[in-house]
Amino acid sequence: MARNLNVLVVDDEETICISLSAWLAKEGFRVETASSGPAALERLSEKLFDLYLLDLKMPGMDGLELLTRIRAIQPDASAIMITAHGSIQTAVESMKNGAIDYLCKPFDPEELSLVMERAATNKALRDENVMLRMQLLEQQDAIFSGIVAQSQAMHAILSDIEEVAPSNAAVLITGETGVGKELVARVIHMRSEQSQGPFIAVNCGAQTETLLESELFGHERGAFTGAVKARRGLLEMANNGTLFLDEIGEISPKMQVNLLRALEEKKIQRVGGARPIETHFRLISATHRDLQQLRREALFREDFFYRINVFTIHIPPLRERVEDIPILADFFLQKYNQETRKRIEGFTQNALAILKSHSWPGNARELRNVIERVVVLARGRMIGSEELDFLKSRSVECQMENLTLKEAERGHIQVVLTSCGGNISQAAKKLGIDRVTLSRKMKRHQLNRD
Amino acid sequence: MLDLIPFGAVDPMAVSIVAAHIQAIIGAYTNIQSERSLPDYALIATRNQYDAAKILKALHGESQGAPFKLGLLQEDLCLPILTYVYGESQLGGKVAVISIHRLIDPRPEIIYERAAKIGIHEVGHMIGLEHCRGIDCLMHFSKQLDQLDGQPLHFCSACEYEVSRRMKRLVRNGIGVTSQDQRSLEK
Repeated sequence: MARNLNVLVVDDEETICISLSAWLAKEGFRVETASSGPAALERLSEKLFDLYLLDLKMPGMDGLELLTRIRAIQPDASAIMITAHGSIQTAVESMKNGAIDYLCKPFDPEELSLVMERAATNKALRDENVMLRMQLLEQQDAIFSGIVAQSQAMHAILSDIEEVAPSNAAVLITGETGVGKELVARVIHMRSEQSQGPFIAVNCGAQTETLLESELFGHERGAFTGAVKARRGLLEMANNGTLFLDEIGEISPKMQVNLLRALEEKKIQRVGGARPIETHFRLISATHRDLQQLRREALFREDFFYRINVFTIHIPPLRERVEDIPILADFFLQKYNQETRKRIEGFTQNALAILKSHSWPGNARELRNVIERVVVLARGRMIGSEELDFLKSRSVECQMENLTLKEAERGHIQVVLTSCGGNISQAAKKLGIDRVTLSRKMKRHQLNRD
Repeated sequence: MLDLIPFGAVDPMAVSIVAAHIQAIIGAYTNIQSERSLPDYALIATRNQYDAAKILKALHGESQGAPFKLGLLQEDLCLPILTYVYGESQLGGKVAVISIHRLIDPRPEIIYERAAKIGIHEVGHMIGLEHCRGIDCLMHFSKQLDQLDGQPLHFCSACEYEVSRRMKRLVRNGIGVTSQDQRSLEK
């Protein structure tokens, strides 16, 4: 049974060392023995072991002290303490000091087998954990490199991220839909002191107020019809991590008050609960809306606005940083090449020109979807202009598709106003509304004749 | 190749069955020795058990007889650190010892089968086999008797291959292999 684990048995009684090592060798462990603490430490200077079986009572250096010394050399060392009957208290003490288990002499063979099995599983899980963490770090690096940027504006954002990430300051990320606000939030989280904690993302615009409240704050059993069991809220789950509230501009003033209190007091109460629950998280919010405007219109609380807006990162739309388009397109091309196992080498000059001239109302998300589509359909080694023809025809449609009603209205009024040379009467006639209505709409959308 | 040595009064049927199974399954010619007195030197009086490690040490020191030796006791075996053992052996060594003390059952044939399984398991260790993860193998470590009863009376294919390979190597190296062993392996 090859377990591939190196075990060091430390006991001052030779017979114990011999019988334990013989028994463990049959289980497939690679076993070495040492007769004292100093001898074990000398062995450690040559190599580290996966597991230590330490006798608690040894002359000179006892098992507890040895464990402390081993942990100073090998902080993640796994140790099982061997103790005589009557010293359970010490065994418990050793567990507190980091031993993973203990055995009382003499022990049953099945007990030894179980403890060793547990230790082997524990080691395998920890190795797996280390491996997964390494993979995660690689992914995190990939995500960071996912902020593919050539433009000065994006380089400035990257430097802002590096600056703000290590602090605990609340960050507000603004920008149009699809510019990559969540990606920026994730990178801030990864570079922050909370990076080992969870990253909890919530889309505030996708849920009703009551549902959002229950999602964020959790609820106690019986808090409302259907609350058959208590549930932890996302604010609780974000403890020691980062809470990312996307579409923060959509939350109601009542929810703003609740969130403000949670942020100020670092305590929350579940819906239907009376017990305050402590939670410490870093808040990153994002919105595509103009919060200043909402604040002026009294739709967004001023105190909440300043609480979430300690540091602002504005991500400009893709059309304002055309130089990022080729490098982003290439990044997505490589990504989908890998996913579809294709070997498309790049874009022709004409194709790049089409990509650069498109207005990308859906920003990087739209670009990603376009590249995914062309990679799936592509037959040749290069993506040519003919494969991107659909972009021209769907340009207007696509622009509209990605806009909110308010944005579409604003855009359309602006287009008509421009086409009428700023003449309000003409524009109103063209739009099929009267002058007063148009003026009111222009005021609401902050448009002027020019 | 292997001496089976009963210590104290041991059911002669159990001794014969253990020897026959070792010979049939491992292919090692097994010679039943005459009964010896109980190994008082290994008695742990406070536990009323015999220290298997001390018996192994004594058997290891014997120069007479076959190169491989398996002791068999009716009395309970243990190690200073373990409350009991069904058997104990040196991995890749020359000596082993088993006890039928804890194999009790109202049906004697069950006791004999258990003893044969433990005997083969320990001889498997002697020729260098570790515990096997497969539960359908004699080299799997049985924590309890019901697990032992659930095991078949043979090795898994991987362990069987190992037994055969190691036995052939012993024959090739002429380590204590008699003409009977040679014939046994040829079968």
